[in-house]
Amino acid sequence: MSKDSLLEVRGLKKYFPIHKGILSRHVGDVKAVDGLDFDLGRQETLSLVGESGCGKTTAGRTLLRLYEPTGGQAIYRPDTDGLEVDLFKISQAEMRDYRRDLQIIFQDPYGSLNPRITVGNTIGEALRVHGVASGQGLNDRVEELLERVGMRAEVSNRYPHEFSGGQRQRIGIARALALNPKLIVCDEAVSALDVSIQAQVINLLKELQDEFGLSYVFIAHDLSVVRYLSDRVAVMYLGRIVEIGTTDEIFKDPQHPYTKALLSAIPIPDPRRRASHIPLTGDVPSPINPPKGCHFAARCSVAESRCFESYPAMVGAAGGHQAACHLLES
Amino acid sequence: MKSDSLGSPSKEEPLLELKSLQTHFFSDEGTARAVDGVSYKILPGETLGVVGESGSGKSVTALSVMQLVPQPPGKIVGGEILFKGQSLLNKTEDEMRKIRGNEIAMIFQEPMTALNPVYTVGDQIIETVRVHRGLDKDEARAHAIHMLTIVGIPSPETRVDEYPHQLSGGMRQRVMIAIAMSCDPSLLIADEPTTALDVTIQAQILDLIRNLQKKAGMSVLLITHDLAVVAEVAHHVAVMYAGKVVEYATVEELFDKPAHPYSHGLFKSLPDLAVDGEPLATIPGMVPPATRFPSGCRFHPRCSIATDKCKTEEPQLDYLEGNTGRTAACHHIDEAAKL
Repeated sequence: MSKDSLLEVRGLKKYFPIHKGILSRHVGDVKAVDGLDFDLGRQETLSLVGESGCGKTTAGRTLLRLYEPTGGQAIYRPDTDGLEVDLFKISQAEMRDYRRDLQIIFQDPYGSLNPRITVGNTIGEALRVHGVASGQGLNDRVEELLERVGMRAEVSNRYPHEFSGGQRQRIGIARALALNPKLIVCDEAVSALDVSIQAQVINLLKELQDEFGLSYVFIAHDLSVVRYLSDRVAVMYLGRIVEIGTTDEIFKDPQHPYTKALLSAIPIPDPRRRASHIPLTGDVPSPINPPKGCHFAARCSVAESRCFESYPAMVGAAGGHQAACHLLES
Repeated sequence: MKSDSLGSPSKEEPLLELKSLQTHFFSDEGTARAVDGVSYKILPGETLGVVGESGSGKSVTALSVMQLVPQPPGKIVGGEILFKGQSLLNKTEDEMRKIRGNEIAMIFQEPMTALNPVYTVGDQIIETVRVHRGLDKDEARAHAIHMLTIVGIPSPETRVDEYPHQLSGGMRQRVMIAIAMSCDPSLLIADEPTTALDVTIQAQILDLIRNLQKKAGMSVLLITHDLAVVAEVAHHVAVMYAGKVVEYATVEELFDKPAHPYSHGLFKSLPDLAVDGEPLATIPGMVPPATRFPSGCRFHPRCSIATDKCKTEEPQLDYLEGNTGRTAACHHIDEAAKL
C-alpha cells in the first residue's frame, strides 16, 4: 500500500515447536500464524476476526514481539519522514525504544493488572522505566491520564481490586496511553464487559483515536463490535488471512465462503428477522499438519476438487478487497 | 391493576411461576440481595429469555428454582416458586432430587467444568437415566447413544466412550444438552449456554435448542446477557436489573419499543443498532453491588428521566396499556416512551 502506512506486515509467522521424549526432540510445529500480510494506516483500525484458534491473538502478540516471530517482517514507520525499521529484525534492546510507541490492552481486566501495585504506579511504571517523567511531573501525568479515561485523579493510590471490570479496563487503557503510543493492540479489550459498560469503553477508544491519532489492531470475536469500530477487517482461518477489506466490503459484500458462513452466524437483534445460518459442519483442521489444499475446503459447501489440491492465492487488488478462494479465480 | 404475579394474562396455566422471589446472601460484609422480588411466568412450550448484566440476579434466580443455591451463605427468604401449580419451596430434598433432571434440567455456560472429567460422556448420560428412570445397563447405554444422535454428535457409537477433554467446546455443550434432555424434562434452564462459544458454534447450539424444544414441547428458560441471542430464540423476555424484573414483554414488543428506561438504555448501547460515525449511547455509571442497592427505583442514579419520587418510592411491575400482559416497573412510563 502507500509508503506512509504506519505498519506493513509481510509473511508474519509464528510457530510453536512441539518437543517429545526425554531428549525433547523437535517433532513438529503448531503453525499458529502462518504467513500474514497486511498494512495498517495511520489512525486506522484494523480488526482481526475469526474463531478461537485461528491465530488472531498470537498474531497481535507476535507483532509486538511479546512472542518472537518465526518469520516475516513488520516494517514500522514511526513518522512520515521516511524512517523505516523492521520490528522483527532489531534486537530486544533496540526494540525497547519502539515499545513506547506500541502498546497492548488485554481482555481480562482482572488478570492484566498487578493486584499489589496501586493504580498510580501501574500507570506510572512505564513513564519511570522509559525515563519520561519522575517526581511531581510523573504524578501530574498519571492524574491527567486517569482523568482522560474518565476516572477521578484521587484513585491513583488505590488498588485494582477496588474497581469494577469496566473501571479496570479504563486503567489498562490509561497505562497503554502513558507513553503517547502510535499503535495499540486491543486484544479482546471489550469482550468481558457488560453491554452498557462495553459501549462506554468503545466510545472512549474512539475518542482517544481521534485525539491522539492512534492506530488500533483490534482483535475480537464479537463481530457487531468489530463492524462498529473498524475501518478494515481481516478474517482469519487456521493461521492465515482468508479475506481482507474495508468494513463495508467485508460485511456487505463478503467473498470468501468462510466469511459468509461466519457472518451468517451472527445473531440479529431483531426477532422478526431471525438469521438463516449457513451451517458449518466438521471441525477446524489441526494447525500442526494443515491440509495442503485450502484449509477451509473440508467444511466448505462449494468446494471443488482443486480446493483440496493447492492453497488458493489472494484474489483482488493488492491493498484492496482480497480473498483467498479458488472459486474467485477467473 | 397492580399484582405481584405478572405475565401473560392468558388463561393458560404457566409451567413455572415465580412470585416475588427473594434470595439473599449473608456475609460479614452485609446482606447481598441478589434476587429481591422477582416475578415471572413461563408457559408450556415457550422460551422465556431473561436478560440483564452481571449482578442482576438472573443466574441466582435460576439456581433458586433448582434449589441449588449454596446454603449458607445463601437463602431463599421470601416469595414462591410454583412448578405445575405446586410450590417447590415446600418440597423435601428427596422430592426435589426427583424433580431435578426428570422435570427441570439445567445447562451451564462452561460445559468443561459442568462435565466430570474422569467419566466418559456415555457414563454421565447413563448415570442420569439409571438414577432417574431405572433403566438397566444396556438400555441406558443404548439411550445414551440415542441422545448423542439427537443432539447431532457425529459417530455417537465411538463418542460415547470418549472423555470430555477429547471433545471441542461445542461438542461438550451438545453433550450437556444430551444429559439434560435424557430424562425428557418439561423445563430446560439454560444459563448462558453459548457465551463461551464461537459465533458459528453458538448458532448451531441455538438451532439445536430451538429444534429440540419444538420436538419435545418443553419450555426453556434462557439466561443471557446478549439481546441478539434473545431475539433469535425467545418468545417472552424478562429484563432484570439489580435483583428485580424491570420489564416483561413478548420479544416483538420489547424489540419494537422497550418500555423501561433501563431496557431502552441496553438497546441504545448495542453496536449493531448504532448509526455510523455516531458515538454509542451509553448508560452512565454502573450496576450497583447487591449489598448496596439504591433506595427507591434501583435504576434512578443512572436514569435520565428520574425524579425525586424515583429516589424514595420503589416502582412495582404494572401492566402497560393495551392489555397484552406486558409489564414494566417505572414511575414515568409515559416519559420513558419518548426516549
